[in-house]
Amino acid sequence: MKTPASGFYRNPVKFRMPTSENLVPIRLDIEIDGQRYKDAFTWNPTDPDSEVVLFAKRTVKDLKLPPAFVTQIAQSIQSQLADFRSYEGQDMYAGEKIIPIKLDLRVNHTLVKDQFLWDLNNFESDPEEFARIFCKDMAIEDPEVGPAIAFAIREQLYEIAIQSVVSARESRLSKKGRRGAEYAPVSKGGAVAVDLVKLFGPKSSVVRKRKEWDVYEPIVDLLSNEEVDALEAKEERNFR
Amino acid sequence: MELSKDPNSNPGRTEDSDSELELYTIPSSSRWFAWDEIHETERTTLREFFDGTSMSRSPKIYKEYRDFVINKYREDPTRKLLFTDVRKSLVGDVTLLRKVFTALEGWGLINYGATSGDTDAEGCGGGAEDEGWRVRVEEGAPNGIRVVATPNSLKPITLPRGATTKDGSGPSSGFSSDCVKLPPLASYSDVYGDLMKQKQKEMNCGFCGDKIDSGHYRSSKDNFMICAKCFTNKNYGDNRSAEDFTLTVSSENSGEQGAVWTEGETLLLLESVMKHGDNWDLVAQSVQTKSKLDCISKLIELPFGELMLGSAHRNGNSNSVNGYVNNVKQVQSSSSSSNHQETSKAQDQSHDLTNENEQNGDAVEESPSKRQRVAPLSDTSSSLLMQVGLIASVVDPHITAAAADAATMALCDENLCPREIFDVEEDYALSVNSANNSARAHGDEGVEMKSSNQSEIDARGQKDGIPLTLRVRAAIATALGAAAARAKLLADQEDREVELLVATIIDAQVKKLQHKVRHFDDLELLMEKEHAEIEELKDSILTERIDVLRRTFRSGITRRKDYSYVKS
Repeated sequence: MKTPASGFYRNPVKFRMPTSENLVPIRLDIEIDGQRYKDAFTWNPTDPDSEVVLFAKRTVKDLKLPPAFVTQIAQSIQSQLADFRSYEGQDMYAGEKIIPIKLDLRVNHTLVKDQFLWDLNNFESDPEEFARIFCKDMAIEDPEVGPAIAFAIREQLYEIAIQSVVSARESRLSKKGRRGAEYAPVSKGGAVAVDLVKLFGPKSSVVRKRKEWDVYEPIVDLLSNEEVDALEAKEERNFR
Repeated sequence: MELSKDPNSNPGRTEDSDSELELYTIPSSSRWFAWDEIHETERTTLREFFDGTSMSRSPKIYKEYRDFVINKYREDPTRKLLFTDVRKSLVGDVTLLRKVFTALEGWGLINYGATSGDTDAEGCGGGAEDEGWRVRVEEGAPNGIRVVATPNSLKPITLPRGATTKDGSGPSSGFSSDCVKLPPLASYSDVYGDLMKQKQKEMNCGFCGDKIDSGHYRSSKDNFMICAKCFTNKNYGDNRSAEDFTLTVSSENSGEQGAVWTEGETLLLLESVMKHGDNWDLVAQSVQTKSKLDCISKLIELPFGELMLGSAHRNGNSNSVNGYVNNVKQVQSSSSSSNHQETSKAQDQSHDLTNENEQNGDAVEESPSKRQRVAPLSDTSSSLLMQVGLIASVVDPHITAAAADAATMALCDENLCPREIFDVEEDYALSVNSANNSARAHGDEGVEMKSSNQSEIDARGQKDGIPLTLRVRAAIATALGAAAARAKLLADQEDREVELLVATIIDAQVKKLQHKVRHFDDLELLMEKEHAEIEELKDSILTERIDVLRRTFRSGITRRKDYSYVKS
C-alpha cells in the first residue's frame, strides 16, 4: 500500500480506506429458514474474488450451516466489495480532516463506550493495533472485543470516506475551477469534522479541559447474564 | 506539584523551584531530553510534527503532547502510564498520540522506573540545583543490578576443550598437567615435583577421558592429547584435524611410576639439553628411551635442571667425561653463568639472546660485575653444590682454598679411618692450590681446568673403593676447591682488565698532552714569524723616516717652520 507523500494535504486523495492497510469492513447478516448468521470482518479488496466463494464454503462448513448460506454469503461479500470498488479512483477529500469516532458496542458481556479523534489523512493509522492496545490497557480479556472495536472503527471510517467522495464530487461541481479554502470543513452532512482552527490554533491548548475528560474517557462495563439477555431481546425486537 | 510541572504555567516559578525539583530516573541514552527545547532525536523520530504541512501537527503541539504525557507519568512514577489514560486528556488524532506515546516510552522518558520496578532512587538526591527543568541523568544501572558475565563464560572460546571441565564434557584434570607452565622459581620443582609426578601418572585422554596407557596422540597446536583409540575413531576434538596430532609412545615404565631413569639416560638428557636447549622434541629424540614429557619432568626434578635450561646455550662445548665429575663441573660453570644471568637481569630487564650467545662457552672470559658478588644466596637454588659454588665465588680465593683445606681436615678428623684415603684429597687440595698458582702465572683457563680435572679424575680413580658418603664429601671439597680456583681466576681477570683500562686512560692522557704541546709549538712558530715581520716593518719605517728627513733638509725648509708645525 503506497503511502502518499507529505504534500498530500493540499491535494485530494484517491478513495481508499484511510488506514495503513486498505481493508474493507464487511458485515454479514443473513437469515435463511429461521437460521440467522451475523458476522463482521475485514476483507482485502485486492484479493482475487475466487477467495470469496472459498471463504463462504469454509465458513458454512465450519459453522455447520445449511449449504444455502454459501451463495448468500458469497453474494453479500461480493456486493459490498463492488460497492467499495465503485468509489475507487475517485477523489476523496482535500485538506486536513479529523473526525470524532464514537464507539458504543457490546460484545458478549463486554460493553464498550468511547470517543476519540481520528485523522483521516494519517495513513499510518491502524485500527487493529489501536484496539489491541485498548484491550490491553483496559484489561479486557474477551478476545472478541478487540476485533469488534477495530471493525467498528473501520466501519465508521469507511462511511466517512464514502461521504467525502460524494461531497468532494458535489463541491467540485458547485465551485468549479476554484480552489476552496483548504482548512474549511468539507463535509455537509454526516461526518462532522472537528474545527481544526479551534482545536489546534495558536490560542488553544491541545490538553483538554478537565470537564471534557469524561466525554473522551473510555468506559468498559461487564454485563451480567440477565442484562445481556435483556439487551439481546431488545435488539431482536428492533430487528423485526 | 501539578502547578510547577506544567511548563506552560510556570514563567514565574522561582520560589518553589528548589522544593519542587525531583530526581527522576531516565536512561542515559535519553539524556538529551530537556523541557524547554526539542531535540534532534525527537525531530527525526516524529518528523510529521516538524514539516509544517499540517495544522494539527506543529512543534508546539508536539511539545504540549510530550510535556503532558511526561508530567502525567511523573504524577506517580511507580505506576505504568497507559496510553488509554493519556488520550482522553489530549485533543488529537489517536494514531498520532499513540506514536508520540510509544516514542516517549521507547526513550524511557515515561514508564522507565515503572517497568524496572526501581523507583527508590528518586527524590533521595535532593534538588539543590537551579537548573530549572533540566533532568538529571543517572549513568548506567546501579551497582546492585549490574549484570556480570558468568565466571567461565569466556572459557569455552579461548581455552582448549580440556579446560571446560566444569561443563562435565569429558576431559579430566589429568590433562591440565600438560599445559602447566612452570614458574621460573627453582623452589617450584621442589615443592610440586612429587605432585607433578603424580599428575603425570594419571594422564588422561582429552576426548574420552580414559587413562592413557602407553601411546597417545598429541596435537601440535595446543598439546591436546587423545588416546590411540580416540585417534583411530577420528575423535579429534574441536578445531583439530588428524594432521595436528603426532604419535607419542611413552615407554612402558613411565606409565607405571613416573619414569625410572638410569644414569646413562640422565647423562644423555643433560647432554642433549645442553646441545638443543629447550627444544624438547630434539631432546626427546636424542634420549630416545624417554618421552618428551619424561625428559622435561626429569630435568625439573634434577636440582639444577632449570639452571641448565637457562645456561644450556652457553655451556655447549664443555661436555666431558664421566658422571659425577661432569655433574660437579656443570654445577660450577652453571652457577657462575647463572649468577651472571641474574645480575644482568637485575641491571636491565631486557637481556637479549645475542648477548648470551656472546658469552658462549667460556664464561671465564667475561669479567664478573660487582653486583654478581652480592647476589643473594638464598634465592638462587636449593642445590647444595650450587650454594657452595656461590659462596666460593663470593669470598676471596685464598679464603676459599683455606676453607677447602679446613673442610677436608675436619672430615678426616671426624672419621679417622679414611684419613689415609683422604691424603689423596689433601693432595688434591694442594693440586688445586697449585692450579691456582699456575693460573695466576699463566692466566690460562684451559690449563687450570685440565689440571683440576686431572686431579679430580685421579682422586676418583684412587677412591673407587671408598663408600659413597665419603665420596660425596670429597666431591664437596672438590667443588669448594674448584670454585676457589675459578674465583681467583676471575679476580685476576678483572685485575688485568682494570690494568688495561688504566693503561688506556694514561695513554689517552699522554696523547692529549702531546697534542697540546704540538699546538703550542705551532703557536710559537706563528708568533716568531709575526715578530720578524713587525721588526722588518719597524726597520722600513725607520729608513723611510730617515729618507723623508733627508729630503726635507735637501729641499731647504727652515727649521723654524718645522718647529712651528710641531707646535701647532
